[in-house]
Amino acid sequence: MANENTKTVSKEEELKKLSRMAMLRRILPIVGLVVVFVLFNVLTDGRMMSSMNLVLSQVYVTMISAMGVFFIMTMGGLDFSQGSILGLASIVVCIVSKNNIPLAIAAGILTGAAIGAINGFFYVNRKIKSFIVTICTMFLFRGIIKYLTTDAPVGGSALLINYDTTALKLACTVVILAIGFVAFRYTKFGIHLKAIGAGEKAAKFAGIRTDRMKFMMYVLAGAITGFAAFINVIKVGSVTASGGNQLETQILIALVLGGMPISGGAKVRFENIIVGSLLYIVLNSGLTMMGVSTQMLQLVEGVVFLVFVAVFADRKSLQVIK
Amino acid sequence: MSEVRLQVKNLCKSFGVTKAVQNVSFNINKGEVHALIGENGSGKSTLTNMLTGIYSIDSGTFILDGKEIHPKNQVEANDEGVSIIVQELGTLSGLTVAENIFLGHENRFVKHGIKNTNAMNREADALLKKYGFDRIKASHMIDEYNFEDRKLVEIVKATYFQPKIVVIDETTTALSQEGREELYKHMDRIRSEGNTIIFISHDLPEILDKSDTITVLRDGVYIDTIKSQDVDEDGLKKLMVGREVTGKYYRTDYGEPISDEVVLSVKDVSVPGLIENVSFDLHKGEILGFGGLSESGMHEIGKAVFGASFDRQGTVILADGTQINDIPTAIKHNLAYTSKDRDNESVVMNQSIGDNICLPSLNKLSSGPLKLLSDKKLREFADKYAKEISVKMVNTDQFVSELSGGNKQKVVLARWVGKDSDLIVLDSPTRGIDIKVKQDIYQLMDQMRKDGKSIIMISEELMELIGMCDRIIIMRDGRLSGELMRDPDMDENSLISKMV
Repeated sequence: MANENTKTVSKEEELKKLSRMAMLRRILPIVGLVVVFVLFNVLTDGRMMSSMNLVLSQVYVTMISAMGVFFIMTMGGLDFSQGSILGLASIVVCIVSKNNIPLAIAAGILTGAAIGAINGFFYVNRKIKSFIVTICTMFLFRGIIKYLTTDAPVGGSALLINYDTTALKLACTVVILAIGFVAFRYTKFGIHLKAIGAGEKAAKFAGIRTDRMKFMMYVLAGAITGFAAFINVIKVGSVTASGGNQLETQILIALVLGGMPISGGAKVRFENIIVGSLLYIVLNSGLTMMGVSTQMLQLVEGVVFLVFVAVFADRKSLQVIK
Repeated sequence: MSEVRLQVKNLCKSFGVTKAVQNVSFNINKGEVHALIGENGSGKSTLTNMLTGIYSIDSGTFILDGKEIHPKNQVEANDEGVSIIVQELGTLSGLTVAENIFLGHENRFVKHGIKNTNAMNREADALLKKYGFDRIKASHMIDEYNFEDRKLVEIVKATYFQPKIVVIDETTTALSQEGREELYKHMDRIRSEGNTIIFISHDLPEILDKSDTITVLRDGVYIDTIKSQDVDEDGLKKLMVGREVTGKYYRTDYGEPISDEVVLSVKDVSVPGLIENVSFDLHKGEILGFGGLSESGMHEIGKAVFGASFDRQGTVILADGTQINDIPTAIKHNLAYTSKDRDNESVVMNQSIGDNICLPSLNKLSSGPLKLLSDKKLREFADKYAKEISVKMVNTDQFVSELSGGNKQKVVLARWVGKDSDLIVLDSPTRGIDIKVKQDIYQLMDQMRKDGKSIIMISEELMELIGMCDRIIIMRDGRLSGELMRDPDMDENSLISKMV
C-alpha cells in the first residue's frame, strides 16, 4: 500500500513537472513579447511607443493570414504559397476595385480560395507532401505575378485610399480572429483539426472526414489570405512584382515565435497566432528603428527562429509532418 | 545443466520519477527457456531492453558467463552474444532480406571498402534454407513479405550466429499458429544447443508449456523464480497480480438461444486480395467470433463492416436498411470499431484521453445553433466514461501516448461506450494486454451483450473466442470455411481443423 501511495505521489510530481514545462512554453512567448517591447522602447527612447500606429499597420495582414496557416499547421501540414496568394489576390483586388469595391473584396477571397483548392487537390488527391506542393505553387504564382507586373505595377482604384483607416483594419482583424477563435476553441472544428495533427489515421477511424477536412483547410487558408489582400491593397495602393513576397516566412516565424509546435497536433493554442505576430512585428520594427540593415535583420531573425524551433519542437511527434 | 549463464545484479532503471525496474537480481541458467512474466508495466521489457543495449542501465550489472557486459546498442549486444526478437516489427523496410539479417555486421562482406552483395545474399539464402524458410529469398526487398514472414526473417537474424542468449519479447501474440510452431521449433533447437532463451509472453498456458523456469516481476520489483513444473496457471496469476484472482474470466453461461432479430447483414462482400464473397448476419445481443490464421482475411472483415476498407464490393446493411459505405456513416448509426493496430488506427496518440473519448460524440455534446462545446461538459463526459471503464490515469488531460497498451484499449472502449454504440467490432481486443485488464474487457463485453448490444470479435486467441462467443466463424484464404455454435465441449482443435 505504501508503495502504491509513493507511486501516485511521484506520478503527480511528474505531472506537475510536465505542466510546469508546458506553462513555461506557454508564457515564454508572452514574456518575450513584453521584454522585447520594453527593451526596444528603452533603446529607441520611446520612439516605438510613439509610432505604434505605424508598427501595428504592418501586423494586420500577417496576423489574418497567419490564422489560416495556423489551421493548416495544426493538422500537421505546411503552406509556403501564402506570399504568392497574397500577391496575386492583391492584383485581382486592384483590378476589380476599379469597377466595384465590395466585388473586389469577394474577388480577392475567391482568388485565394482557388489557389488554396489547387494546393489542396495536389496534397490530398495526388498525395504529394504539402511543403512540396506549396513550394511549387509559390513559384508558379510568383511567376504569374511577375508576368502581370512586367510593364508597370498594377494600381488599384483611387477610392481605396478612403478605406485606409486604423479603425477599419483593426476591426477586420479582430472580427476574423474572433470568429476563428470561437470556431477553433469552442466547436468540434478545433478538436478535429488537432486530432488530424496528432494521429491522422486514428482520427479517420474516429469518424473524421480527414481528406475533406485537409482540402477545405487549404481552401480556407487561401480565402483568408485573399481577404487579407484587400487590407494589403488599401495600405500599399498598388502591387509590384514583389507584392506579398516572403509572407509565408513571416507567418511561419510568427507562429513559431508564438510558441506553436511546428508539427501541429494537440499542443497548439490559438493565442500562438496573436502573440507570435505581435512579437514578430515588434522585433522587426524595433531592429529597423535601431538602424539594423535588412541583411542583418534577416540574420537576426534566422537565429531567433532557429532558437524558438529548437525550444518548441515537439520531438515525440515530429514524424507526423506531412 | 544448471550452470549459470547470466547474473542480473541489483538492476535499476527509472524513467523520470517512474521506477520501471527496482533493484532486481536473479540468475538465468544455460540451456533453459527462462520465462519473464508480469502485468503490463511490470518491467519485463525494460529489463530485456537494458540487456540488449536498447536502454542504458541506471545502476546494477549484467554478468554474462562471468564477464560484466555493458552493450550500448543492439550490435554491441550481438557481439557479446545477446540478441532480441522484438514485440513489434523489428525489420527495416527498404532493405533486402539479406541486408536485414546482417544489419550491423556488413563488415564481414566488405573487402577494400566494397561490399560483396552476392556473397551476402548467398550466405543469407543458405541460412534461410537451413531454417526451412526457402520461400523467402535473400535478395528480395523485405517489404515484399508480410508481417508473418518478416518475423521469420527476424528469427534468423536473431539466432543465426548462435548467441548465448536470445530474448523473445511478446512475439507469439503477433504470430499465427503456423508461425508459432516455427518459433517453438527454433526455441527447442537453441535450448538443445546449450544456449538460453528469455521468453516474454502474456499467454500463461504457453509459458507453462514452453519454459523451464519462470521469473515473476511486479511493478518493477522481483517477486520470485520458480520451476514451471512446480506451478499452475492460477499460481502464476496470483504471483503476478499479488492476490488471488477471483471471479470468472470468460463467460460461464451456455445454451442461451441467439435472438432471431438480425441487426446487421453482410452480403457478398469482397475486398480485392483480402476477402472474397463473404456473407453473414449479426443478431441482436450476440457475440459473433471470427477466427483464422492472421492472413485469412478475418482482420479485413472488421474494416469492411465499418466502411473502412479500400475498394470494397458488396453490401453491409443495418436492420433499418441503412447501407454502411464509409466510416462517418457507420459511426452515425452507432457502429463502433477497435483496430488490431491500436496505436495507429484506434487512439489518437498525441492527444489527451479526454479528447480521445469525446471525439465521435462531439455532435451530441454540442449545443445551441452554433453547435458550441463547453470545456466543462467535455470534461464531465470524458471523466464519466473513463471512470466507468476504469482507465488507469492521473486525469483526462493526460496524453494517450503515456498509457500502457491495456489502458489505451480502455480509452478506445470508453469512447465507444460513451457514443452508446449498439454494434461493436473488436479486432484483437486483448492483444498484448495483461490478465487484469483482459478480465475487465471480457466482463465489459458480457455486460454489453446482456444490454442487447451486438459484438463482432475478431481474434487470433482461440481460447478467448471459445470462451466468449455465441457463434464462431472460421476463415481461410479470404473465405468463410466453417461455423461453430457455443458449446462447453468445444476445444481449440475443432477450430484449427477448419483454419488450415
